[in-house]
Amino acid sequence: MELTLGQVMALFGAALAVLLPGIGSAKGVGIVGESAAGVVTEDPGKFGQTLILQALPGTQGIYGLLTGFVIMQRIGILGGNLLPLSLYQGLLILAAALPIAFVGLLSAIAQGRAAAAGVGIIAKRPEELAKGITYAAMVETYAVLALLASILMLFGIKL
Amino acid sequence: MSIVKMKKMHLLGLKVEQDMILDAIYKMGTVEIVDITTQGQDNEVHQDRFHQKLEKELSELDSKLNRLKFAIDFLKPYVTEKNPLLYGKPKIKRQELDDLLSREEQYLRVVEVITELDQRLSRLKAEESKLHSRIEMLSPWKSLDIPLEEMGPTRETDFIPVVIPIKAFEGFRNGLDEKNVLFELVKIGESRDENLCLLVYYRAQKSEVQDVMKEFSVSIQEFPGLSGTPEEIIAGDERRLAEIERERQSIAGEARALSDQRFAFEVLYDYWSMVREKKRNMLKMTETSRTFCMTAWIPETMEQTLRQKIGKLTDSLYIEFSLPEEDDEIPVLLENPRLVQPFELITELYSLPDPKGIDPNIYMAPFYFIFFGMMVSDAGYGLVLALLTGLALWKLKLAGQGKKLVQLLFLGGVSTFMWGAIFGGWFGDLIKIKPIWINPLENPMAILVLSFAFGVIQIYTGLLLSAYKNIRAGRPADAFMDQGLWIVFLSGLIMLAFPQFGAVAKYVALAGALGLLLTQGRTQKNPLMKFLSGLLSLYGVTGYLSDVLSYSRLLALGLATGVIAVVINTMARLVGVNAIGFIIMVIIMIGGHIFNIAINTLGAYVHSSRLQYIEFFSKFYESGGRPFQPMRIKTNYVEFEEV
Repeated sequence: MELTLGQVMALFGAALAVLLPGIGSAKGVGIVGESAAGVVTEDPGKFGQTLILQALPGTQGIYGLLTGFVIMQRIGILGGNLLPLSLYQGLLILAAALPIAFVGLLSAIAQGRAAAAGVGIIAKRPEELAKGITYAAMVETYAVLALLASILMLFGIKL
Repeated sequence: MSIVKMKKMHLLGLKVEQDMILDAIYKMGTVEIVDITTQGQDNEVHQDRFHQKLEKELSELDSKLNRLKFAIDFLKPYVTEKNPLLYGKPKIKRQELDDLLSREEQYLRVVEVITELDQRLSRLKAEESKLHSRIEMLSPWKSLDIPLEEMGPTRETDFIPVVIPIKAFEGFRNGLDEKNVLFELVKIGESRDENLCLLVYYRAQKSEVQDVMKEFSVSIQEFPGLSGTPEEIIAGDERRLAEIERERQSIAGEARALSDQRFAFEVLYDYWSMVREKKRNMLKMTETSRTFCMTAWIPETMEQTLRQKIGKLTDSLYIEFSLPEEDDEIPVLLENPRLVQPFELITELYSLPDPKGIDPNIYMAPFYFIFFGMMVSDAGYGLVLALLTGLALWKLKLAGQGKKLVQLLFLGGVSTFMWGAIFGGWFGDLIKIKPIWINPLENPMAILVLSFAFGVIQIYTGLLLSAYKNIRAGRPADAFMDQGLWIVFLSGLIMLAFPQFGAVAKYVALAGALGLLLTQGRTQKNPLMKFLSGLLSLYGVTGYLSDVLSYSRLLALGLATGVIAVVINTMARLVGVNAIGFIIMVIIMIGGHIFNIAINTLGAYVHSSRLQYIEFFSKFYESGGRPFQPMRIKTNYVEFEEV
């Protein structure tokens, strides 16, 4: 079977969709973990609460993986029958991957910062955890919207 | 259903009966006593006298409770007790409590013993760490075979232990040679970057030696108060460490022997905390030499019950109930049907409603229920979640917010199961059952429209509640202009999206817009400003638009769950080619789906809450209520059957 440039572009899109939000989430989760560790040295009982906050910036990585997976499924790489894609089809898929790739990367880091600040709330007023979560969730909205855009685009591309 | 109506109770009674009356109120657990001592300064001196006595009693109680708590915590590692989450708190009969109280002196003496054990333990610990650091300091000097007390001057020479930086070692030796000092330098050992040596020199040359030492930053090692060779000292210290360990074992043995007393301490602790709670509330009352006076909040419905209960006890008291006044800070107690109660948690975590506002729970609950399920939307996951939380509710003795959370997750699981069946997701594509309605992966646009529809419905509900609030406050005109016109305008805009409505849509939208244009500037005086404010208010439509778009997360998170589940299944099937592969496949599936359930349940909880807080509550909700905290029996360890 002959490989086409379109296939390369499509796979490049899948790679970006997994890669960038994954980096962002790793960084975001890391930021929260650092401040959470500080709080837990004072009061180990707060581990569970801080863990919830730490999990929040992790979702972008999952959204990215999800988008990458949808691409892989659509171009048939999972079943082993790679579709013969034209260059334009490949570029369409690459374009569809961009929203979650970039918004995922940056929003995960921003969300990590918001959640890390939320850890401060847990340190002083653990009963107000819900408010800290809400602040972090406000950031995630944009990752969700980007995911939605990427997925809708992918479903719309005719192969 | 709503915020419970509160009444203010004023009670004047005889002081000899204060305890009895307070006991009755305490057991009812529905009265919150208000601190009235700060109001009115009439008989201040008098108050002080009574309160000083109370405060003294309270501080004695505090110290007793602290000691009991300390003993309970100290004995904790030595007892195995049934998990109260599984078995509930042990029940104590009045008789048992009286028995314990009559032997209280005895138990308090045991507490003293335990305090002593603890002090011995901490002394041992201090000594142990001292020994450890001495051993660490002496170990490098181990091969020095001269007793330390013999260091120092002989008739003609000085024997001194010195610490030389490794880099300066040769330099130091050469430096001494150059000054023609008569010396002997013996290397004893080394630490990280220093050589430890014994230096012997002719005392007449001491000043030269000191110069060279300064030049190469060589320092003298002091061994204050030590005698014997380092090796002997270390051996002695190690013997002592072993002894300490034995002593510690014996203390642990003593503690274990006392551990059966822990239960008595727990009972006493809970009993005295109850007494403390009562006394603290007495501090909030005013008194004369024979009478006391208290003010308290009580739910309206409890008024008769309280009258009867207290009336049975005594005739010599005056009791009066009044409606709250304008500037009273009324505490908030919510009352909802059982099915809605779990959702109160979501509101409580945000903020309780204003006492004069609306209890949002009953309106919010159906939305939360629907949204939670839609975001997870896998029938298999719903079953797992509902079964696990159902089991927890059945087997565990939960209370308070923890119970509400588990109940909420149970309802969420039910909703998830229903949505999963509608969308045809059973652990992703593991079990292939046809969707009742539609598969979101095949037709995401339909679900997107459904999500927006839910958003519109919830936002309309919010607007209607806000209108209701205006009408209730006697401002029907405001309700029409601020909410009614918006609903007309927004409905017109929505109708534009459906060609069936044709030209009507345009006119409805225009009528709404015109209405808003004319009414929204009504607080302005200047006619031009009136017009401009009206025009500007139309910009609010972007707010509503972004609110509705925000509901697209219902689709996005639902898709995320479904696709991740498919990913897990696909990865697992890749390895399931032979017997060993099959086992790995099952492990991947179980682990993967558990992970997916956990992460998506968290996501669904967070995002459903967010939709309520930001999109729904912002339309009508007034927060800022203070929770009703009645004086009631709260125990840590045991439950009293009758007190």
